[in-house]
Amino acid sequence: MVDASGFDFGTAMIPKEKYTCPAFMEREWAALWTKVWLLACREDAIPEPGDYYVHDVGRESILVVRQQDDTVRAFYNVCQHRGNRVAPPGLGHTDDTLKCGYHHWEYDLSGRISRIPDIETFPQGAPCHGLVELACDSWGSFVWFTMNPEPEPLLEYLQPLPDQLDRYHFERMIMTRDWTVEWDCNWKTSVDAFNESYHVQGIHPQLLYYLDDFKVRIDCFGRHSRYIVPFATVSHRVGETTEIPPLIKLIMRDADMDPADFDGRVEDVRRAVQRWKREHSPEVGLDYSELEDDQLTDDYNYLIFPNVTLNTHADDLMLFRHRPHPTDPNRMYFDLQNFRLLKSDEEPPPRRPRHRHFKHGEKSLGLVLDQDAANLPRVQAGMHSTAFEGLWLGKQETRIRHFHKVIADYLERDPRDGGREGP
Amino acid sequence: MDLGLQGGKAIVTGASRGIGRRIAELLAEEGCDIALCARADSRVADAVESLEKRGVRAFGSALNVRDGERYVQWLSEAREALGGVDLFIANVSAGGGMDGKDSERDWYRNFEIDVLAAVRGCELLADAMKDSSRAAIVMIGEALSGEAFGPPLAYNALKSALATHAKQLSHALAPSGIRVNAMAPGPAAFEGSRWEMLEYADPKLYNATVRQHPSRRLSTADEIARYAVFLASPAASWVNGTQIPVDGGFSQRIGF
Repeated sequence: MVDASGFDFGTAMIPKEKYTCPAFMEREWAALWTKVWLLACREDAIPEPGDYYVHDVGRESILVVRQQDDTVRAFYNVCQHRGNRVAPPGLGHTDDTLKCGYHHWEYDLSGRISRIPDIETFPQGAPCHGLVELACDSWGSFVWFTMNPEPEPLLEYLQPLPDQLDRYHFERMIMTRDWTVEWDCNWKTSVDAFNESYHVQGIHPQLLYYLDDFKVRIDCFGRHSRYIVPFATVSHRVGETTEIPPLIKLIMRDADMDPADFDGRVEDVRRAVQRWKREHSPEVGLDYSELEDDQLTDDYNYLIFPNVTLNTHADDLMLFRHRPHPTDPNRMYFDLQNFRLLKSDEEPPPRRPRHRHFKHGEKSLGLVLDQDAANLPRVQAGMHSTAFEGLWLGKQETRIRHFHKVIADYLERDPRDGGREGP
Repeated sequence: MDLGLQGGKAIVTGASRGIGRRIAELLAEEGCDIALCARADSRVADAVESLEKRGVRAFGSALNVRDGERYVQWLSEAREALGGVDLFIANVSAGGGMDGKDSERDWYRNFEIDVLAAVRGCELLADAMKDSSRAAIVMIGEALSGEAFGPPLAYNALKSALATHAKQLSHALAPSGIRVNAMAPGPAAFEGSRWEMLEYADPKLYNATVRQHPSRRLSTADEIARYAVFLASPAASWVNGTQIPVDGGFSQRIGF
């Protein structure tokens, strides 16, 4: 049975308008997106002074730039001349200035205007400031920013996750995939799909012989949340098999265990993999010393509010970022990033994977994510039906309730929004 | 037709679940005392209880047949406990993955569990079985070992070895009054079976396999077990050295 003890966010229906209504999307923008800390990119994506990364979120575009002194600063990616985007989305580098492509206004790495062609033709002179800066900080090998002009410090915002996540040492991991996929659903429809394991039986039946979707521990921490799903085991919904299921054999082989030499029962595999990894990690150069045994097999799935899902494992991290569309509540961008722990004597590859952008269905994301992706537009479309009023959530979906509570808290806190009636 | 099993003494390997369990239960219903082994304590206890409910004596031991020394010792203990042996059902199997990723160790695994456990059982029990008037050995093979099905698997190849051994052994033991047969069950779906898992884990393969069955379904454990019990019984006294598919017509070959 799912264990969400200690967390009770009521039983009310969640109105569907939170997923479908442009007005609610506007409220989210004003009260939430412009207040929270958001993930920009990996520190190692912009290692050298002059390296920059442009991140689009909703209607804004953010420019994150490595400075000469090795710090990172973030700016709204908008030229103060006519409003053009200074740089296109993604990674880039400049040896001297950031130059707007429209009329070649130039900004130095710290955002100051360094050159305006034909400045003498502007009787009013140059604008009094350059690129507009926003708060920017680093944690966990990632760069974060916030549009909130009076933000709490990043580390406070993330509490209490850093203590739990630092032990995975994301900084020892390298990126192996960097994809963006356009999905026809609200960004929260996507967040929800990874905030509960209740859908495994319906959408991912093959995983019933890989993980226990029912014996899940749920924790809500302030604005963030987590669940722990036991991997390398058979779900309580199906019977234990006499043979080790193929996906569990895969877990064993990934740990360099030969399933042919395992004579125990299928339900013993998970502990055996944990023991094996613990025992053999020093010789293969993988350091698990800060991790608990369960972390060597299980999926510790975190939501860093509002839009970063982390599937943390001892040897890898699968990160999902759910980005809202600028105007349409029925569309979003799903960023899929994979990371792999380097062995102690392993050199990082010379090049990071190229970022790739697809429309839904253009490219397989792997069976499990394809199954999720195929379903999400159907959920979004169904929510618009007159026959549907809202989400009827159970205990296994406690994280979704918590997520909505945190969103509601943000909306309430916003002076322009507080107390407003409606979804 | 009376199968003639009343008062028989049977040893069944790998009999806590699935086909082996069903064979043991049917033998018990025919009046045989049973000794069985399997890996898990709790499941062995459960099987023994279910057999005793059928009014026979049942002895169960939790062991891994790969541990040859322990297995051979158990066979002797089982023979002692039963007070002789009429039937030996070599059922235990390591099974086979469907991924075609068998390592060299998988070959040893299938050899030790599927083949060697059968061979050792026959060797150790043949002497005691000579005293029986209804001695029979049944080896559980595999219908797909006679077919080119799926990727290369140690499991299929070694199930073939078992069938060959059953035939040769039938000639060697016939003068002592011991019949030896193999049987070749096709895909069976029951709790804990590979095919039950594949229905979820690989629905494409599962559905294609169901469609290839003339009856558009897989067998139950009971349908396999009933034939095994017949084969083991004196009612099959003139059946010797065979390997008959029990697969609902799934396999394509015609054995003349």
